[in-house]
This record gives sequence, structure tokens and C-alpha cells, in this order.
Amino acid sequence: MMDSSVKIINEWDIVAARQLGRNVAKELGFGIVDQARITTAISELARNIYLYAGQGEIIIEKVENGAKKGMTIISRDAGPGISDLRKVMEDGFSTSGGLGAGLPGVKRLMDEFSIESTLGEGTLIQSVKWLR
Amino acid sequence: MNFRDTMLDNYKEILKTYISDQTEQALYLSEKFSRKLLECKVSPEEMISLHKTSIMELEPDLPESLLLSLDILLEVMMAYGLAYREHQSLRTIQRELINEIEVAASMQQTLLGTQIPHLSSLDIGAISVPAKQMSGDYYHFVSHENGAISVAIADIIGKGIPAALCMSMIKYSMDSMPDDSQAPGDVLERLNRVVEQNVDPTMFITMFSGLYHPENHTFHYSSAGHEPGFFYNSEKGIFEELKAKGLLLGVDKKAKYNEYERKVEVGDVILLMSDGVTECRTEDGFLEVDTLIGYIEKYIQLGAQDIADKVYKELEYLQDFQLRDDFTLIILKRIA
Amino acid sequence: MNISIDVREQELQTTITLAGEIDAYTAPKLRETAFPYTEKQYANVVIDLSGVSYMDSTGLGVFVGLFKSLNANEGTLKLVGLSDRLKRLFDITGLADIMNINSVAEGGV
Repeated sequence: MMDSSVKIINEWDIVAARQLGRNVAKELGFGIVDQARITTAISELARNIYLYAGQGEIIIEKVENGAKKGMTIISRDAGPGISDLRKVMEDGFSTSGGLGAGLPGVKRLMDEFSIESTLGEGTLIQSVKWLR
Repeated sequence: MNFRDTMLDNYKEILKTYISDQTEQALYLSEKFSRKLLECKVSPEEMISLHKTSIMELEPDLPESLLLSLDILLEVMMAYGLAYREHQSLRTIQRELINEIEVAASMQQTLLGTQIPHLSSLDIGAISVPAKQMSGDYYHFVSHENGAISVAIADIIGKGIPAALCMSMIKYSMDSMPDDSQAPGDVLERLNRVVEQNVDPTMFITMFSGLYHPENHTFHYSSAGHEPGFFYNSEKGIFEELKAKGLLLGVDKKAKYNEYERKVEVGDVILLMSDGVTECRTEDGFLEVDTLIGYIEKYIQLGAQDIADKVYKELEYLQDFQLRDDFTLIILKRIA
Repeated sequence: MNISIDVREQELQTTITLAGEIDAYTAPKLRETAFPYTEKQYANVVIDLSGVSYMDSTGLGVFVGLFKSLNANEGTLKLVGLSDRLKRLFDITGLADIMNINSVAEGGV
């Protein structure tokens, strides 16, 4: 199983993370619509790290579950953490503010989504997109 | 076969028709197609990919640059796709909220329900209409063991749900008041302490509290900043304001409320109202007190409930059926 | 339904001049703008209402809030330039007895 990661420190790292995600998505055989969805989700996660945590990393992994193939995007940071997860997962908070799709957007773009966050320790988000 | 299975073929057909001869027919078909897309929740990015596939099959010799430009278009439309999905889910939430408010409004009606007492000497009528779903007006009757009747009318400043919540508190305090504290001034002083302690400092309540003694036909009353009611003196055929001074509930916990007294003769009428009545706005400005009295006078010979209903109808008509404020009117008419 | 709020801060007092309508739609704006001036200690706030054509009970709520806040911080509130209709509103609610209210706008700059 191959995996690779991109450290997110400045805004240009978001592009690198997208590039990595796109390469893996293409390799796995995702169509152009799903490629766009996956890279948009990566952008969103990477931008969150860049804006709110200062630094962290995006890890891309290929996954297999029986006959199913897909890819996982992991976003990990040691930032301040999120105090109210329910609030950030609520609709209508981020897009209207012009900041992007927000975490609910990532959840919609991907097939699986999970988030863990501890105040003062950081946030770990894992999401999976399956190849159909 | 569902729409998604056939949409590539449908779309190719539309494109082909339009490319060969630019008819309005093809444009009309694309309009219908676009509605179908929304109905089947096809996102903008999927549509662009569909377009790319179709055009590549129809026109294999298109320049590379044009096809590449579609990749950019697809990327640019991602945010629209997300906004569209978010809109869908917000619509569901909105529908749920509307349902909840409807349930709350009907609960409020049940919770705040009050029985209009029956007395042989006093005809009582009441009407209360909310401007929005939840009313900020409140009225309450209590029949005491000694035969006296308490009446209270209140207006919670602020409207909608916060006002409704506040009102439930008032209702609870009134219900838990001992039967021996009937004096309107005492009632207001007690409630004032409750409100002062419990309510947000910018929220407050105006209330008029009255007590009718059927054995000597006197009406005692006090006001906490409430719109003064009217007293119709049937012998002289004149209306007088039921003047009473007193501070709003919830401003100063030491506020005192003076009590006033009126002798009520057969045919006399007591009218209590919320400021939705006097603050009623019409095309030419505000409703003047004289105009209001004019309406009341027109119907003063009717039964109490009829007076209330008819006056409401007139004011509703005057405001073009657009209530800006909750409306409550209570009529007490001595008939024997 | 509009309101204009003009704030002039001087050494000894803050004058807030209002024009338009104060109702459920404009009251929050008034509250947000005026509230910070009432939270300083010993603040003297004068509110000129001569340009106010309409005020409903929600507007009244804002003034009670400002009054309470100033009292808590040992400041003073003075309302000037009230029309007869506004004066009546403050009379009925008993607020005229506890607040400093003047129907004439104060001259001078």
C-alpha cells in the first residue's frame, strides 16, 4: 500500500496537495468529475490547516476493501482544535461567508467522513472516496 | 429507464440538432432538459462533464484548447455545485423549522387558553389575533371563590418566539398566585418581581390588571405601563380613558402600583386593549383615538363578544388586512 | 423602514441623533450602535429624537436597556426632542417618571 503526504505551511502547499491527490485519483481511474470533487475536498482541508492551524499535513492513501477500491484523504494538524464540532458541521456557516465549502462541503464531496478534534491538541479528519 | 441513464443520449441529440440548424426548438428542449437536471439533482460539474463527453463524441476534430477550457469551467463550477447542495439541505432544515413553529404556536394556544367566566350581571367578550404565528399578547381571567373576577391583559415587548416563551412564565406565575391576593396592585407587584429577576434586561412587559366585584359592581384596576383602556359611561353616553399610572414590569424591582376604582352601572362598558389596537397604522398615518372610539361607539349596543369581533373587523379592514402588531381587545359590559 | 444614527462624542457627553423609524427592524441596529457608549463609567448620553417619526414598543425596549446599562455604570441618560406621540408612549409606560425626558431639543452645538 502506497501513501504519501504534503506538509501544509503556506498557501502554495495547497496546490501541491491538490496535485498529489489528482495524480492518485487519475491513477486509480476516477473520472474527471470525481477528480474535481476530490481535489476540491483536498483544497478545503488544506486551506483549513493553513488558515486555522498554521501547519499540518495532508496524507493521501489508496485503499481497498474487498472488491472496492478508493482513496483516503487524511488531514492532520496540531492546531488549536475545534471547540464546537456540531457548529462547524452545520450548513450555511461557511459558504455564505465566502470562505469556501467548509467541512460540510467536504463531507458531501466524499463518500465517508470522520473528524476528531481535541482543544489544544489538534484535529484529525479522514475521508474516503470509493471508485464506482 | 431513468433520466440519468438516458441523459447523455438526450443531451447529444439536443446538441446535434442545434449544431446542424440553430432552431428555437432545440433551445426549448435544453430548457426542459435543465429543469430535469435540477429535478434529478444533477450537479453543475456533472453537467459540464456530460457536455464535454457529448461534444467529443459529436465533433472529434475539436481543437484541444477548447476541450481544455472545459476542465477549467468544470473546476470553476465546483463551488456552485456545493452551494446548490447546501441550498438543498438548508431547504429541508427550513421546512422542519416551519413545522416546529406551527407545533409551538398551537401549543401556545393550548397553554395560554383561558376560560371566559360567566356572570349573570356581566357580559364578557374577548378577541386576540397574533400578527405572526406566535402572539406576544396575553389575556387571562380568573374566577375567585368569593365571586369576583380578575382580568389581566399583557403585551410582551418583543414578538414571536422569545415573547411567547416569556409569556409562558407570566402565565405560570399568575396560575401559582394564591387566591387571596386578588388586588390588582398586588398582582402587578408580584409579577414585577418575577419578571425583573428572570427576564433579559431589554425585554419587558406591559400589563393591565383588573378586578370586578359583582356584589357592589366596582371595578378596581392597576396598570404597569399598559395602554389605558376605555370606560363607556352609558348614562352620559361618553367614553373616558381608564387612566392609571405605573411602570412597565421588569424595569425596577421596587416599583409600586397604585390602584384605581370605578363604579360600574348597568349598560356601562369597560374596554381593555393591547397597543396593537392603538398603534394600528393605516395609510394616512396612525389610528386616532377618536376614530377608534367612533368604531366602538357604533357597536356599543351589541353583546360584548360582538363588539370585540366587529371592532376587530373594522380595524383589520382599515389596515388592509395586514396586522403589524398582535391585537387583543377585551370587553366587559354590565347587563344587570 | 429606515433609521439614521449619528453619534457625536464630546468630552463630557455623547450625543446620539436619531432620525427615521424605530421598530422591530431598526431597533437592533440602534441597540448595537448605542450600547457601547452606555458601558463606560460615568457616561452621559443624550439622545435626540426630534427626527423620529415612529417608534414601537421594541424601540422602547432599547431605551430601557440603555437606561439600565447607564444606571449600572453610574452614567446618565437624557432623551430630548420627543414628539407628542413619543412623549405619550413614555408617559403611559411610566418611563417618563424614572427617565430624564425633555420634549424640546437642546440648542447649541
